[in-house]
Amino acid sequence: MKLKHYLKLFNISKIDFSKKIGVSNVSLSRYISGERFPERKVLSKIYQSTNGLVDANDFYLEGIPNYELNDQQKAELNNMINSLRKGKLKFIAKAITLIESSLKLHKLQASFLLSKLKDKNDSLRIGITGVPGVGKSTFIETFGMTLIDLGYKVAVLAIDPSSKRSGGSILGDKTRMMRLSVNKNAYIRPSPSQGHLGGVAKKTRDSIRCLEEAGYNIIFIETMGVGQAETTVYDMVDIFLVLLLPSGGDELQGIKKGIIEIADLIIINKADGSLKSTAEITMSEYKNAQTMISKSRKDILPQVFQCSSTENTGINKILSFVKKFEETRKKSGSFYQTRSEQQIKALWSDITLETQEFIENDLRSKEFVKKIIKDVEKNKFDVNNASKIILDYIVKK
Amino acid sequence: MNKIKGYNNWKELASKELKDKSLNDHYWETPEGIKVKPLYTEEDLKNLNHQIGLPGLPPFTRGPRATMYTNRPWTIRQYAGFSTAEESNRFYKEGLKNGVMGLSVAFDLATHRGYDSDHPRVVADVGNAGVAIDSIEDMNLLFDGIPLDQMSVSMTMNGAVIPVLASFIASGEEQGCPREKLTGTIQNDILKEFMVRNTFIFPPKPSMRIVADIIEYTSKHMPRFNSISISGYHMQEAGANQVQELAYTLADGKEYIKSALERGLNIDEFAPRLSFFWSIGMNFFMEIAKMRASRYMWAEIVKEFKPKNNKSLALRTHCQTSGVSLMEQDAYNNIVRTTIEAMAAIMGGTQSLHTNSFDEALALPTNFSARIARNTQLILSEETGICNVIDPLAGSYYVESLTSSIVQESKKLIQEIDEVGGMVKAIEMGIPKMRIEESSAKRQARIDSNEETIVGVNKYKPTEKQEINILSIDNEEVRERQVSRLQKLKKSRDNKNVENFIEKIKNVAGQKGNLLEVCIEASKNRCTVGEMTSAMESVFGRHNLSTKTISGVYKNSVKNDGKIDVIDRELDKFIKNKGRRPRMLVVKMGQDGHDRGAKLIATAFSDLGFDVDIGPLFQTPEEAAKQAVENDAHVIGVSTLAAGHKTLVPLLMESLKNNEANEIKVICGGVIPPDDYPFLYKLGVAKVFGPGTNIQEAAIEIINLL
Ligand code: B12
Ligand SMILES: Nc1nc2c(ncn2[C@@H]2O[C@H](COP(=O)(O)OP(=O)(O)OP(=O)(O)O)[C@@H](O)[C@H]2O)c(=O)[nH]1
Ligand SMILES: [Mg+2]
Repeated sequence: MKLKHYLKLFNISKIDFSKKIGVSNVSLSRYISGERFPERKVLSKIYQSTNGLVDANDFYLEGIPNYELNDQQKAELNNMINSLRKGKLKFIAKAITLIESSLKLHKLQASFLLSKLKDKNDSLRIGITGVPGVGKSTFIETFGMTLIDLGYKVAVLAIDPSSKRSGGSILGDKTRMMRLSVNKNAYIRPSPSQGHLGGVAKKTRDSIRCLEEAGYNIIFIETMGVGQAETTVYDMVDIFLVLLLPSGGDELQGIKKGIIEIADLIIINKADGSLKSTAEITMSEYKNAQTMISKSRKDILPQVFQCSSTENTGINKILSFVKKFEETRKKSGSFYQTRSEQQIKALWSDITLETQEFIENDLRSKEFVKKIIKDVEKNKFDVNNASKIILDYIVKK
Repeated sequence: MNKIKGYNNWKELASKELKDKSLNDHYWETPEGIKVKPLYTEEDLKNLNHQIGLPGLPPFTRGPRATMYTNRPWTIRQYAGFSTAEESNRFYKEGLKNGVMGLSVAFDLATHRGYDSDHPRVVADVGNAGVAIDSIEDMNLLFDGIPLDQMSVSMTMNGAVIPVLASFIASGEEQGCPREKLTGTIQNDILKEFMVRNTFIFPPKPSMRIVADIIEYTSKHMPRFNSISISGYHMQEAGANQVQELAYTLADGKEYIKSALERGLNIDEFAPRLSFFWSIGMNFFMEIAKMRASRYMWAEIVKEFKPKNNKSLALRTHCQTSGVSLMEQDAYNNIVRTTIEAMAAIMGGTQSLHTNSFDEALALPTNFSARIARNTQLILSEETGICNVIDPLAGSYYVESLTSSIVQESKKLIQEIDEVGGMVKAIEMGIPKMRIEESSAKRQARIDSNEETIVGVNKYKPTEKQEINILSIDNEEVRERQVSRLQKLKKSRDNKNVENFIEKIKNVAGQKGNLLEVCIEASKNRCTVGEMTSAMESVFGRHNLSTKTISGVYKNSVKNDGKIDVIDRELDKFIKNKGRRPRMLVVKMGQDGHDRGAKLIATAFSDLGFDVDIGPLFQTPEEAAKQAVENDAHVIGVSTLAAGHKTLVPLLMESLKNNEANEIKVICGGVIPPDDYPFLYKLGVAKVFGPGTNIQEAAIEIINLL
């Protein structure tokens, strides 16, 4: 860990620390800024006083090109943040692009940007899932317009976290959200499919923060109802909506039972035309089955509603439930508690993700690792010892 | 096993001539999935799926009339309309003097979509791709000096069909022609609008009610008028193969019959006035077979509804040579193509025909190109002797066998539609549109990889540039004229009265009654097309098409001749540089509903590795810019075919500037006359891709642009 970060984390002033290791305040500042490299004796003092958290390597890494942003880059980012706060579309868009980018520099810029954002408590993050074609986008269009009429600012992130597709994407979401997409109080950003779940999750969480900073107070996350995508989305939203089609059991609709169990709100969409009565039946089926639905929230029961997103019926009931949900949970504090828990989950999944990426991108290509693998393959090296050596390397990193 | 005497000898001989190749290599699988053999014999006339019969008699395979052209040749009916009513009127009269026998009105896109010329959403559309008609006054000018009791008039109108047909009927009466005497056709085929033509206004349900209103009204009051022209033409132009064109059109027809019957009409009251419309492309024999198959199948379909009058079973049709087969490059080749297609339409027994002009892929026709197109038909009709024999290809082993295969294949598709509950349902589910787009992507893949030859485009390219004079319309001036005429109209009419009519229309729309009937009176009282439409819209709502996209079809159909590897390499470099794939927003602005190219570009580019955003139809430049900025697209790909580019692209550039997003590149594609390229480049457009663009080459160029 960098000394700078250590001092900040444990809330220790430079003066106190310089006294502790017996150097002048000026020298300490120079060590921190990378102008000077600490002498051997000082290094070991630092190592001891920080319980080994700060070691010699943490001073070496200063000044490696691209590791830190230069002043001009920082100024540009500050500029971006200001424009983003003013709600300028272009800069919100650029910020999300940085977040989604695979370039090292962009990642660095994104973390700088994110470090400057404040945490907002006045937004509502709504997750929406369901099989392709169930009407998620259309529902967001109708529900979103209702919210805009009430004075909210609505943002929509459409993600496809389950896709294993590596090629290009074709994104037509906005054609299903015609009124929202032209409204000045709405921002819609469909994201191309990009690799694995964890990465998409992190990027989406970060994008949510940008959008909140830009003043959007309703954030929809639309995702296809397959695989593990739902629980991932569940862990980044305040309320989780599952859209179903009239008729058919869960299996038929390709929705896993686990998804129904975590839903805060089950919505039978397309309750119109010839499907009206089927929707009625489906609704009562799910209502009856509700006892089987485990309560994912302690303070409010999940509900089943029907609506027609195209004909704008049943939307008001959904709206009042969502409001009640938000109010109840805000009052009891569970709303914020869930968000805190989500932060912690996010932290751990970030760590897992980064480690995985490190293993995939760096470790596998290291010469010594390749050597070890060869030896293990030929039974010259036993797995236990081999993994210890590699782990030791990771820990040092 | 072929039992014809000597067949085996032939086979042996043929194999010898083929040397190392086998006869089986010479089977041609058409895009419809029909296997065509190198040789047909009388064996192939056994077990046909259709009856051949005689002309004028059920099942009408050989033609709807007993004498066909031997009595009277087909009607030469050229589709035309542009700019103002006066201009178009002059053009019609010129045509009538020179061999045209029936009129066919092309309206501009503002009118199609039910907007008056002063509506802000149509600044780029007035008078451009057809004639602007805002009210009965324009209609009066359009037919000035053309006696409507003698001239048959076909009108391609579907979205704003009620106000336009109403104005036409009212105009006829002001001219002194009672509605009973009007002859002609109103297209009134809304189902294919939702599928491929895109000039719908209201949602499907009220739109179907409108169709029924018109069938009902015309069957009672206009006995000489075709109430509908059930059109496959637009499907083929949008990419459908011939079997799809035929099957979906007949399925549409079935749907219209059902809704007229639901209205309480008797089948024989309206079925004889249903007419059809086909596109005729370059697959000569297939087209002839399609037309013969269509007549047989329609007779079969209508029979199920138990008509008493044989006329109800007869399919009568108009044909137009294919526009998509015509190219911008080496444009005079188009005259040859059109001639071949026209011959197919005639051999297939069409009742009327439009032949395209050779400048089809550049702009609306000039007087010169229109004249050649007209003469093509006159030459066929008067110089060749074709008219002297009825259904000359009947009994041909090949043609009968093809006819039979088409019947078989189309029945499969119709069954698929029946199984989901009919065409309205199928359209809601997007099935036919998706299938058509697949065919379109496959065809482009074949062309891009030179598997299908287009002379002058992907083979035998001309070395010299040809100068072709084209028609250019000053859309700004037309709009101003229309707007001032509208203002004058609104000042001179009794506006109280107009308001009453608007209320009446709303009532009829909301409850029962016939919309055409009330709108005829409204037109006479100077209600405009836009006003009548918005009255209905306030009850019905305006329909938004939810765009569905296909993926993988292009990539799977294309042969990699090295270009794909280049693209992959360039993309890798790009991603390493920019941290993401190139992102392109494909937009359609204004009322231009030509989406074949845009859909194709979107699906092909994403197959090739781009991230492609696709915008909804009918965007304004401001909306397109907002979407590009929000999505942080690298490039906006404008697809423009209806001549709106000179108005829309400058507005788009301005909107980008207003969003501080000048770095987003703009490229254009579609029907853009070469003379306009400098204008676009001066605006800052990075590149223009015209008709015939090879998509893979374009992809490489675009990556390099970024
Ligand atoms: C097919 C067609 C139709 C179909 C459209 C089906 C559909 N869903 O798209 C149908 C039959 C419905 C139709 C109707 C009409 N049509 Co039309 N139609 C054509 C036609 C014959 C071919 C267009 C086409 O699809 N070609 C195939 C596609 C793949 O090619 P493309 O779009 O050019 O795209 C290629 C390139 O241009 C480029 N490209 C295009 N866009 C982009 C974008 C990017 C980013 C890139 C990189 C490249 C690129 O790459 C593509 C691949 O090579 C043209 C004439 C012609 N030959 O071009 C007339 C034409 C465009 N139509 C015309 C007219 C007037 C109409 C109507 C308005 C007639 C009327 N008054 O009622 C109607 C209304 C339609 C509407 N709603 O807008 C006129 C327009 C006149 C003008 N510009 O001045 C034309 C030019 C014919 C003519 N000469 O009269 N039409
Ligand atoms: N009848 C009816 N149709 C609806 C309703 N909601 C959506 N649709 C239609 O269902 C189709 C799919 O709607 P979308 O909103 O695109 O569905 P989606 O779940 O977002 O689809 P993906 O993003 O592809 O997963 C469209 O044709 C909509 O018009 C509804 O309430 N009633
Ligand atoms: Mg969607």
